[in-house]
Amino acid sequence: MKRDGALRALGLGLWGVVLLQSAVSGRLDLLLRAVFHPLVWGGGLVLLALAALELRWSARANGRLAPRQRAGLLLGCAAAVAVLLLPPRPSFADLSANRSRELLEEPALNFVLPPGQRSLTEWVRLLRSEPDPKLHNGDPVRISGFVLPVPGDRPQLARLLVRCCLVDATPVGLPVLWPAGQPVPKADQWLELRGVMASERFEDGLRSVVKPTLMRPIPRPERPLEP
Amino acid sequence: MNLERLATTWALFQALLVEAMPFLLIGVAISSLARWLSPGGAWVRKLPANPLLGPLTGAALGFALPACECGNVPVARRLLASGAPLATALGFLFAAPVLNPIVLASTWAAFPDQPWLLAARPLGALVIALALATLLGRLPEARLLTPALLEERRLSQPLSRVSLLERRSGLIGGGSAPEPPALPPRRPPLAEVLGHGSTEFLDLALLLVLGCAIAALVQTAVPRAWLLAVGGAPTLSIFSLMLLSLVVSVCSSVDAFLALGFAAQVTPGALLAFLLLGPVMDLKLVGLFGVLFQPRAILLTAVAAGLVVLLIGQWVNLVLL
Repeated sequence: MKRDGALRALGLGLWGVVLLQSAVSGRLDLLLRAVFHPLVWGGGLVLLALAALELRWSARANGRLAPRQRAGLLLGCAAAVAVLLLPPRPSFADLSANRSRELLEEPALNFVLPPGQRSLTEWVRLLRSEPDPKLHNGDPVRISGFVLPVPGDRPQLARLLVRCCLVDATPVGLPVLWPAGQPVPKADQWLELRGVMASERFEDGLRSVVKPTLMRPIPRPERPLEP
Repeated sequence: MNLERLATTWALFQALLVEAMPFLLIGVAISSLARWLSPGGAWVRKLPANPLLGPLTGAALGFALPACECGNVPVARRLLASGAPLATALGFLFAAPVLNPIVLASTWAAFPDQPWLLAARPLGALVIALALATLLGRLPEARLLTPALLEERRLSQPLSRVSLLERRSGLIGGGSAPEPPALPPRRPPLAEVLGHGSTEFLDLALLLVLGCAIAALVQTAVPRAWLLAVGGAPTLSIFSLMLLSLVVSVCSSVDAFLALGFAAQVTPGALLAFLLLGPVMDLKLVGLFGVLFQPRAILLTAVAAGLVVLLIGQWVNLVLL
């Protein structure tokens, strides 16, 4: 019976460590929108406290585990250890390939920053509300994102928008006039681009496109998901 | 599946898991608290048995005992075993996974810009619970409930309602001797409540792991074109999202967030169908329902729930499209 209590404490403790470690190590920034982080912190702390209580009170409790429950508990512990040992390393390009590329929310911006200060997402939202490329020609651009292959088109520079977690991530991207004579960057590569907004003919119309003057690889940002 | 896709699936799995686990913990904590505050359960036998009032009362219990559908199965089993009227217990089982504060809050968090969904989801869940409780209530209990549960339930029912043979206990020839007074309910020690709650949480955590693994696989394996191809077709989109909810088997406390991923690609009726069917029936629940119902009753539940959800989805598409 005491062993069952210790096993329950181990299971609770492991899941508590999984939640806390996700928060401490910065994994959450890759998995969940920041508004949900306190829930994960709280959940982890409560689970650790419950594990300590379970360990202390297990001798007094009379909840004996059935063999099937014990096997399930061990399986759960193994899953928790796997989550602890194997950090998430998603391919944003691969994830985006399976997602809708429509914005979830209203595309209009409440206010518009000066061109050089706009993020990639703000540029995409602005171009959806003001799609005429002539309005933006020559505007300075300074953005960062990952390289997203687009079927039937050049790769774009993109970001993932989330409202809850990686599961609902939606890609938004800007077309880029990649410098001629240089190999196009690999999918998933994070880049910082500086340049100007230009226009090009695309599918019987004009569209805005980023014309980079400076392009440098950067590591994936600590908080790669955007609200 | 290449390594890149495997890594993405693993990340999606972790995202779902760390997001859902605190919700699961909250559900188990509240149900453990309810068990501690209200031991015994003589009150459950006083719940209404009326075919309309029963399911509505059961559904309302979701606000007192909020949990996702996997957390509700053991609670519904306890209700049935304690002798609660069938209508109330079934109403709780089928409606409470949606009609509880946690699920309503998560639906609101996921779809703050779609007020119609915030009203349609609980209303739809009520309609499904009423329909299923009415249908399953017409079956004899011996054909509906598992033998072990039936035996436990009959022990909790007074002799005036079940015979000695059915109850398999009591004295033959004892005349109309009054039944011994029931023992006053004992509040379980905190250590016992903690042990039960811990076991329940860990059992459910394992099911959550399995559900998240399936959901992550589906997210990466099902091609976007598959959903997009049927997304605009009213009836087909409802069918495809119902199928998805069956396969994905994600808890009702997080399914709204999952639905966000394809909300823009499907019809409103299909979106609602996904949010309504999952909490009532999915692959994960089929196993859990085995502790309550006979296999034929589970099949009947699945078919009837699917039919009602299809009709609701069609009606929503007719109104909103």
